[in-house]
Amino acid sequence: MNDDGGLNLACDQLIVGYKTPLHEPFSFTVEPGSVLAVVGPSGCGKSTLLATIAGITPALGGRVIIGGHEVTQSPTHERRVAMVFQEPLLFPTMNVRDNVAYGPRRAGLPKGQAREKAEELLGWVDLAGLGDRPVDQLSGGQAQRVSLARALAAEPRVLLLDEPFSALDAPLRTRLALDVLEAVQRAGIPAVHVTHDPAEADTMAHGSPSGSILSM
Amino acid sequence: MTAPGWLRWAWLAPAIFIVAFLLVPLASLLARVVTPETLDYVADPLPWRVAGLATAQALTSTALALVVGLPMANALTRYRLLGRRWVLALATVPFVLPTVVVALAFRALLGSSLGTGFVIVVLAHAYLNMAVVIRIVGARWSTIDPRIETAARTLGANRWVAFRTVTLPSLGPAIASAAAIVFVFSFTSLGIVLLLGDSSTRTLEALVLRQTSILLDFQGAAVSAAIQAVVVGSVLLWAAKQGASVASGGTRTFRLVQARGAARMAVAAVAMVAVLIVLAPVASLVWASVHSSSGWTAAWWSALFGSTTIDAGSTRIGSPLAAMGRSITFALITGLVAAVVGGLAAMSVLAHRLGRAFALATALPLGISAATLGLGTLLAYGRAPLDLRATGLLVPIAHALIAVPLVVAVATPTLRATDSRLVTVAATLGARPSRAWWTGYGPTLRTVMIAAGGLACAVSLGEFGAASFLARADGPTVPLVIARLLGRPGEASFGVAAAMAVVLVIMTTTLVAAVDRGGRRA
Amino acid sequence: MKRIPVVTTAALSVAALVLTACGSDSTSNSADATDSKDAASGPRTVQLLTHDSFALSEDVIAEFEESSGITLELVSGGDAGSMVAGAILAAGAPTADVIFGVDNTLVTRALEAEVFEPYTAADADALRPALADQTFEGRVTPIDFGDVCINIDDVWFEAAGITPPTTLDDLADPEYADLLVVQDPGTSSPGLAFLLSTVSRYDEGWTDYWQRLLDNGVKIAGSWSDAYYGDFTFGGGGDRPIVVSYATSPPAEIVYAEGEPPQAPSTSVMTDGCYRQIEYAGILAGTDEPEAAQQVIDWLLSPEVQADIPLNMFVFPARDGIALPEVFEEFAPQVDNAEQLPSDFIAQNVNDLLAEWGSVMGR
Repeated sequence: MNDDGGLNLACDQLIVGYKTPLHEPFSFTVEPGSVLAVVGPSGCGKSTLLATIAGITPALGGRVIIGGHEVTQSPTHERRVAMVFQEPLLFPTMNVRDNVAYGPRRAGLPKGQAREKAEELLGWVDLAGLGDRPVDQLSGGQAQRVSLARALAAEPRVLLLDEPFSALDAPLRTRLALDVLEAVQRAGIPAVHVTHDPAEADTMAHGSPSGSILSM
Repeated sequence: MTAPGWLRWAWLAPAIFIVAFLLVPLASLLARVVTPETLDYVADPLPWRVAGLATAQALTSTALALVVGLPMANALTRYRLLGRRWVLALATVPFVLPTVVVALAFRALLGSSLGTGFVIVVLAHAYLNMAVVIRIVGARWSTIDPRIETAARTLGANRWVAFRTVTLPSLGPAIASAAAIVFVFSFTSLGIVLLLGDSSTRTLEALVLRQTSILLDFQGAAVSAAIQAVVVGSVLLWAAKQGASVASGGTRTFRLVQARGAARMAVAAVAMVAVLIVLAPVASLVWASVHSSSGWTAAWWSALFGSTTIDAGSTRIGSPLAAMGRSITFALITGLVAAVVGGLAAMSVLAHRLGRAFALATALPLGISAATLGLGTLLAYGRAPLDLRATGLLVPIAHALIAVPLVVAVATPTLRATDSRLVTVAATLGARPSRAWWTGYGPTLRTVMIAAGGLACAVSLGEFGAASFLARADGPTVPLVIARLLGRPGEASFGVAAAMAVVLVIMTTTLVAAVDRGGRRA
Repeated sequence: MKRIPVVTTAALSVAALVLTACGSDSTSNSADATDSKDAASGPRTVQLLTHDSFALSEDVIAEFEESSGITLELVSGGDAGSMVAGAILAAGAPTADVIFGVDNTLVTRALEAEVFEPYTAADADALRPALADQTFEGRVTPIDFGDVCINIDDVWFEAAGITPPTTLDDLADPEYADLLVVQDPGTSSPGLAFLLSTVSRYDEGWTDYWQRLLDNGVKIAGSWSDAYYGDFTFGGGGDRPIVVSYATSPPAEIVYAEGEPPQAPSTSVMTDGCYRQIEYAGILAGTDEPEAAQQVIDWLLSPEVQADIPLNMFVFPARDGIALPEVFEEFAPQVDNAEQLPSDFIAQNVNDLLAEWGSVMGR
């Protein structure tokens, strides 16, 4: 998928919070193809950390560096950091295929090619043939898979996941966790996976070559 | 979703209302006026020419209202802002002011640079109608999950592209609704075009008035009124079709977002611009209410509150306080009636296949000129055997007829976007269909009903046309008092009229803010 | 159920306000309570249909109600034209008992539609001589008259050092270029009156006159208040010191001034080219209170009401021998040779006149 190899995500003394710091400064590096699992109780700032890396919330201090370039001051859409949220957050006025094609379209691909790419990814998450379906007619698991496909289709440099499986049942969780690990390795991008479930953090960290766990 | 039994009949009350207070008066009037010869009047080029002029003007007014109103809808209904509720209430004020007052204020501010004509008419219309855009689009916008735009941004869309490709399509039906209403109001405008317009800004409404009250050419008036009704009906039909193509998305009103950084300044800037735009004409009214040819004066205000009646003992103007009380009473009755009737109409859209057509029918009054409605109501309910004038309800009913379509326009997009799965959830938890339905739709319904009711109150406070036909001579509303004062020579009249206009502004702002507060406390 | 308090509060406040509003109506009419027109039981009620400019002193009305036992209920029909339109449409099954305020431009249409029940007022022979034969065979009664005249801002003219115009022709004179504002006759009653005045004066050549006015920079306003408050230099700080208004506007200036009334008004009336407007009252055919209605007509022509009219409605009483208020005597000219056109001529031609005017003026 991604051709550029060797792009890692680094945080250098990154201070996270809205007005006051929520935590000690973060310093870590995530290698391409690896997953950093962030685990901790609700409300301790895990989601805020992701939001800061993605540029949705400004950092109170420190730096975010992707593939050697500092992006701390860049706006979200320039960072190419795709996110999968706890809720699918699919675009309600588009069908499944156009949702997945959104990232490629923004990157400049013409409609036909973008839709082809979308079909490719839908096949990869086992939802081939559902392209035309309206998004309000999907099950929870299907919607979350579309959300994952949509994030991957954008060919991001970093993948962030904010408790993406907490609304799903156990078998689906395991299945999707493996999908994420495979995708991240295939694409050769670093990923940060937030969860409140230590077992899940374990799976994600140990399923990737240089994965690790960060407890908050 | 299993709709509760009574919902299938929700359309009945609005239907009776429309039949009784719109169709019966219209029928009374048409029966008296229309003959086979009336068809000959359709060949007259004049009403068609006027229709063309009015369309051009209304399209421009609508475009401007959207350009001005959409940023305000965004800033004022989604972000946390100091004094947000008051700014929102203030933005509703222009909608309420009698058009005579707005026209004079605009002329005072801009008349020397713009004169009369197309530009100032369009500006005045946008000023009057931005509230419609803010309320209707704002009500829908606040039910769109703000995180969806965030998701788009993580996929490579900058803020503007994210808005355009993700949020705007969801807002589409609400924008279409609002645009249709603004178009209709501008197309049927009377006061503004009479006072600020020239030959390029004629409307059929003004033509009907002229044919009725000056030429006494009833058949020509009937034809002009019919053309207007057809145009308005078509526009509303178009808007309804837009509304049909919406996927149910958001489930609830989202908590207000705390804007940060540049967004925060933008929100504050938009709010300030909104306040300035609204206040500028109002400021000129306040100025006029404390000025006379000899400088500052408190005489106009003391005439308002000091003496018991203006005109010291004659019947013409009467007690200003009584007029204010009357206006508030009418406004509250209008708000209540319009909210109930409009709410039921909006709910019937959910429950019935024909519901949409029906909701469209409730919008008919917007296309019927006030002169036609007023005269028809007098013929039907102003004399034996059924004389309702003494009940004092004719004015609020006429006002409710005009306000119901607004209520429906505010409520329907939001109701349709409500996630019906909540109803199913409630049912599975043991709630009977009625209770389950209220659990699912109740919160949304309550919020939009209060917002819509507030708008209906505002409409009633400033309405002039129907009230002038239907109010009793000694029972004028505030706009009527202002009009009577303006129809009388002497600078005292103008000063007192300005003071009453300021009172109207204060009354509206307070009323709308209070109603909104009640709605938020859900 | 949190919804209920809101609804209850709203309902209670509505109820409270309705009661307050009913109680605070300070006019003499107890019409809120009496809406039945039962002649047999209790006091009789006469509904008087009028327009927005109607006004009489409350004590004059109260006195009548006491002495006659009739309750007078005022019903508003909008402006004069709308009122007549309503009466015509309802002819035969009227919405009121007596109508007041039909003026001479509209009366023919009302007569054609058989709106009135003939009645000659008790004091009909006390009418001013000029109005005595204006009853249209006893179907209506003149109650007041006024003149639509050009008003001049004397203060402006003095400051500019120009002699004000004195005739209609002067208005087309380049010396007075860009100084005149008139109202659109299609939307304004005084505007229409002024147009009719020029038709009466210039006959076939009236369109030429208007062309000359147009070339001389005349401004067209939509309504009287628009012109008077918006464009007239005196009323609203506009830029036109010549406006079409009423012969009684200068006295009104004094009466409605703030604080200390000035000794003399700063506006005056150009007596050339005034148009005579007469207002009539009549009994509406089909009323179920014909006797009481007759009493009301008589009352309208009575000395008490006629003396009350000037300062309330700023027109002249139709009855002969009524003393006018001082401000009227001094500052409101009684124009002897006002222009006037026959009512049926107007009824037949007003449509065409307006269309022609529109095409000459480019509107």
